[in-house]
Amino acid sequence: MNAMTDQALEPAAAARVLVVEDEFLIRMEVAAHLRDAGFEVIEAMNGDEAVAILTARAPIDLVFTDVRMPGSTDGMGLLEFIRRTRPTLPVIMTSGHLEPALAFSGGATAFFPKPSDLDVVVKALRAALEAAA
Amino acid sequence: MTDKTEAAVPDQSVLIVDGDIISRHAIADYLRHCGYAVVEAANTDEAMTALAELSLGVDIILCDIAAIGARSGFELAQWVRDNRPGLEVRLAGSLDVAAKTAADLCETGPHLKRPYEPQAVVDYIKQLRAARARV
Repeated sequence: MNAMTDQALEPAAAARVLVVEDEFLIRMEVAAHLRDAGFEVIEAMNGDEAVAILTARAPIDLVFTDVRMPGSTDGMGLLEFIRRTRPTLPVIMTSGHLEPALAFSGGATAFFPKPSDLDVVVKALRAALEAAA
Repeated sequence: MTDKTEAAVPDQSVLIVDGDIISRHAIADYLRHCGYAVVEAANTDEAMTALAELSLGVDIILCDIAAIGARSGFELAQWVRDNRPGLEVRLAGSLDVAAKTAADLCETGPHLKRPYEPQAVVDYIKQLRAARARV
């Protein structure tokens, strides 16, 4: 078995975070920040891509998602999908528009208004992962 | 496997343009473990945004021929040849070609200890796609 297969099929030491964000530069910045913080990151450009990778049963420990995105699945739709298919998966939402109460009523683990301090987000991700462990 | 004792900062950056998150992530992950800095674009519009960000210092573009956006994969390659002649573009028309191209990059990459097996990447992607198809 080679390195790629090992890495792909066995549990990784670093937590895997699915970042869902349609704004390319924001997604890139968030992903880079999380990688620097030691997370493995999967980047999805919208809710439909997030559903595709979740449906493929890729190992994911936490989802960090925007709310307002193009496509057939926005952030709230993604949250509903996750709560139905992976009820214990932590989902942290971020938005410049959504009322936090709406996110929490849908089952979000935490909520950050945009723009977010990414160092604070990293702390929240770690706390959510510890709580889910 | 990446040799951690070598330089920690990759000196080459790869822009991957692929509309399939499963393929894109697997290839990107593969190249990151070879020591490359990787930028992931889901379409050619995002790729153009990445190319406009000169600070990203993209050295190589690995683009799916079927990539969507205002430009096709071929048109993106043509634009790069016309406007960024020093930038290398490798077009991939199939998953196997994309994996082989990534493996070729790994073989010539700065941090590679041994070559990765491209077929393993293809198998992994097919496994994920099959899981998705069963649902």
